[in-house]
Amino acid sequence: MPNVVPVEPYTGEWYPGYRPEFFDFPYVVDAPSPFKAGDENAFWFLDFHWSRGLTPLAATLWSADGYCHGTQSASESLPLPPGRGVTCRFAGTHLYGSPIPEDDPREIGARAQRLGTNLPHFLQNYDTIWSAGRDELEATWDHFQGLDVTQTKAEEFPALLRQARRYHKRAMEIHFAVMYPMLVNFLGFYGSCAEMGIDTSQVGKFLQGEDTKIMELDRELYGLAIKARQAGLSQVFADHEPGQLRQALSAHGGSASQWLTDFDDWLQVWGYRTDATCDVGVPSWIEDNSNAFGNIKTFLLRDTDHDFDAASRNALAERDAAIDAARSGLTREEQAVFDGGLAANRAANFPWWQDDHNYYIDLKVMLPLRHACQELAGRVGADDRNDMLYLFWPELLGVAGGKPYTGELKSLVADRRQYFDHWHGMRAEMPKVLGSIPESVEDPVLIEIFGINPGSLKAVQNPDAAEQTTLAGVAAAKGQAIGVARVLQSSDELHRVAPGEILVCESTSPNWTPAFGKIGGAVCDGGGMLSHAAIVGREYGVPTVTAVGIATLAIKDGDTVEVDGTAGRVTILKRAADLVVE
Amino acid sequence: MGTDSIVWVDEVDPATAVAVAGSKMGRLTELHRVGVQVPQGFAVTVEAYRRHCADSGLDGRIEQVLAGLGATPAEAEVEQASAAIRDLFTATAMSASLEAEIVVAYDELSLRCLEVNPPTAVRSSATGEDAADASFAGIFDTYLGISGPQRVLDAVRACWGSLFTGRALAYRLRKGISHHDMPIAVGVIELIHARSSGVAFSVHPVTGKPDRIVIETSWGWGEAIVQGLVDPDHVEVGKADNRILKYDVAHKKMVSAFDFAEGRVTEIAMPERLADRQVLDEEQVTAIAEAVKAIEVHYGYPVDVEWVISRHRRAGDPICIVQTRPVTVTSTDAAPAAYDPVALAQKYIFSGKPIPGR
Repeated sequence: MPNVVPVEPYTGEWYPGYRPEFFDFPYVVDAPSPFKAGDENAFWFLDFHWSRGLTPLAATLWSADGYCHGTQSASESLPLPPGRGVTCRFAGTHLYGSPIPEDDPREIGARAQRLGTNLPHFLQNYDTIWSAGRDELEATWDHFQGLDVTQTKAEEFPALLRQARRYHKRAMEIHFAVMYPMLVNFLGFYGSCAEMGIDTSQVGKFLQGEDTKIMELDRELYGLAIKARQAGLSQVFADHEPGQLRQALSAHGGSASQWLTDFDDWLQVWGYRTDATCDVGVPSWIEDNSNAFGNIKTFLLRDTDHDFDAASRNALAERDAAIDAARSGLTREEQAVFDGGLAANRAANFPWWQDDHNYYIDLKVMLPLRHACQELAGRVGADDRNDMLYLFWPELLGVAGGKPYTGELKSLVADRRQYFDHWHGMRAEMPKVLGSIPESVEDPVLIEIFGINPGSLKAVQNPDAAEQTTLAGVAAAKGQAIGVARVLQSSDELHRVAPGEILVCESTSPNWTPAFGKIGGAVCDGGGMLSHAAIVGREYGVPTVTAVGIATLAIKDGDTVEVDGTAGRVTILKRAADLVVE
Repeated sequence: MGTDSIVWVDEVDPATAVAVAGSKMGRLTELHRVGVQVPQGFAVTVEAYRRHCADSGLDGRIEQVLAGLGATPAEAEVEQASAAIRDLFTATAMSASLEAEIVVAYDELSLRCLEVNPPTAVRSSATGEDAADASFAGIFDTYLGISGPQRVLDAVRACWGSLFTGRALAYRLRKGISHHDMPIAVGVIELIHARSSGVAFSVHPVTGKPDRIVIETSWGWGEAIVQGLVDPDHVEVGKADNRILKYDVAHKKMVSAFDFAEGRVTEIAMPERLADRQVLDEEQVTAIAEAVKAIEVHYGYPVDVEWVISRHRRAGDPICIVQTRPVTVTSTDAAPAAYDPVALAQKYIFSGKPIPGR
């Protein structure tokens, strides 16, 4: 009998004013909703992508268009024989995902046949498929960039909102239609390597070292830090919090003015990105500069410059050495299989795509809708330009269609803000898993991306998780590091991490990448071998342990910890609380 | 110059070799014909054994012991019967003519080796042994280092007796096989002065994959390896190009060495400085791989072999093969010829089984 963590505490009232029809969107297999009775029969995991919690609009649109349309339709069309994608529920503002199993053997067989046709076709045409999808999304992005929403006529506003939402929905179709077959191809190669006796911790290395759009962005950001140092602005950065830096630099004048001009030019190119995955509730860097300033501030604290070129050369050299070492242990026949798998995976490089696609999809596809919502807020006299993000979709369309934004709706938004803040503060206490907890899961996405494996499933069910001092996880990036732990709820807090410190969080995504240039090590609750932290940890040479399950529970901010990314072990050497006593 | 009691490995007709000399010796003859180097030696034939049992009255005395056993004897009873029968073999002298024939053959071996009192391996070579099911593999006795005619004669009788070890008896009782249906021959073979020895498989013995040869080796004689007393060096070789894919040097604690005072091969602690030393060089590995491949091609099925490198061997000389058998492992599935993402997806991702190495 599986252990059951009751969902009942989360099945009561949801967002103030919520009505079930607010989730009334088309779906493929299972529709999103708040937790409801009966959900304890499935297995639910707290999804690390949205550790801030989600506003009503963000919650409903991501869950409906991302999970319940994107993953479910992609797993039908590839298809994934044993699984039908992911569905989700909400506990407060926090999203829990659940794999939808397919257990009819005949259906599984039919799906396996379909995969046999579709996967080779995808791999042969990967370049065209992905670049066409990417170009389509970029063209839509350019369309929205070219729009001046202040000029959109009132009667056209509902259509604008619908178009912006469709952009996100289409992006999710492309995202999962490309991701699933790439992942399948990678895991097939991985299994084949394991079968041939290759040390599987090396497989990620065979594909590393290719430059991604996200890495390019990070290099550019780092370039701004170097410029600031050369302009003698290090002290200004050191003396001010990220939120005050624009004002401080303006006041400083001189070289700072030129730097600010460069910074703003840079933002025009690179600033249309959020520090979140598909979350309409989160601003871009161009809207809120704090995170960009924060990253530059931490770069400047480093004693030595991060040499991106050297790191990239090392990654390539390490890749070639790993490939040579692996090949030398194979027979000629095996080499032919290995070379074929390597070529197929280089042509459709999953670890590379896992980072690169975020630039085109995850980090910006919600921005057009956000901008439209902010414009609408201004037009309807909202006190805060983000008020619309606290409406549900039908309410939003109503306001866009002319329904007055006053009285009842306005006070609901105020209540919902409170609700959001309340649950935001609850994040650390949210159970990592809910419902019927299996001993293991089969879905490759859950294992490789989310890092849900027998070890982590066991760890999260330990009632004494908070007291543990030795933690085990996936050995994601090799090496050892000792440092002070910084336990962060979201990348908004990245500026709290000093160089050499150990980053501890639920999981990372591309918005955390700049931090890998400064941290000593990384420890995550979630994330498998193919998660962002694992891939970037390897690229940057940062010892990283993922899929610990309870890192953010057991490790307290300020603890001294040792990260062993080779063995997949984390040891809490000294509690912050003890240091205070001394 | 064979008789119906003695046949030489290099002279007996390969077509009848297994029937007259048992499978172990018969296979040496086949190997000799393939062109593989095998040790000099002769077999005391199945017919000689039969005649000995019949003429000396052993058959009747054995029947007596077996008759007392009943249909389902206890293990202790079987052991008792085994000991009794083996005592009978020790106590029963050979006919003078057979003794004379064996002594003459041993003299001939001495001449062929140009060595006085050459040490030999005296091996049981049963007719049922090493059959396809290999149930009897290793069940009968082998004596290493037997030197001088009298010791050879004693060892031959001891090997005969080993047809009646407790294990062999119990097996035949269980299967309802008569010992008359699997008479035994005994090989008397030149004991190669082993610098190193080992086993080699023409396919991977665990996975059954046909593209790699696996070699396990240690210093000295192969007994310590075959009996599992030593953790041997493990070598994997690509069958297509003889490339060494893997060489794991083991810490070899025990060794089968020749004890000159006792006149036999015994198991002793490995000299410390040899324990961690790599046993085989590339040339030797290649020579072993070539021999194994030739044998597999001859038989047309995967084999394992026991081989020895003589301390007198020079680079370029062939490797001496002392035993071969069909490999008992069968490949679970054919190795893929090319990368096939669909097959791999079915196998690993959608099978519900974890990917190996996870």
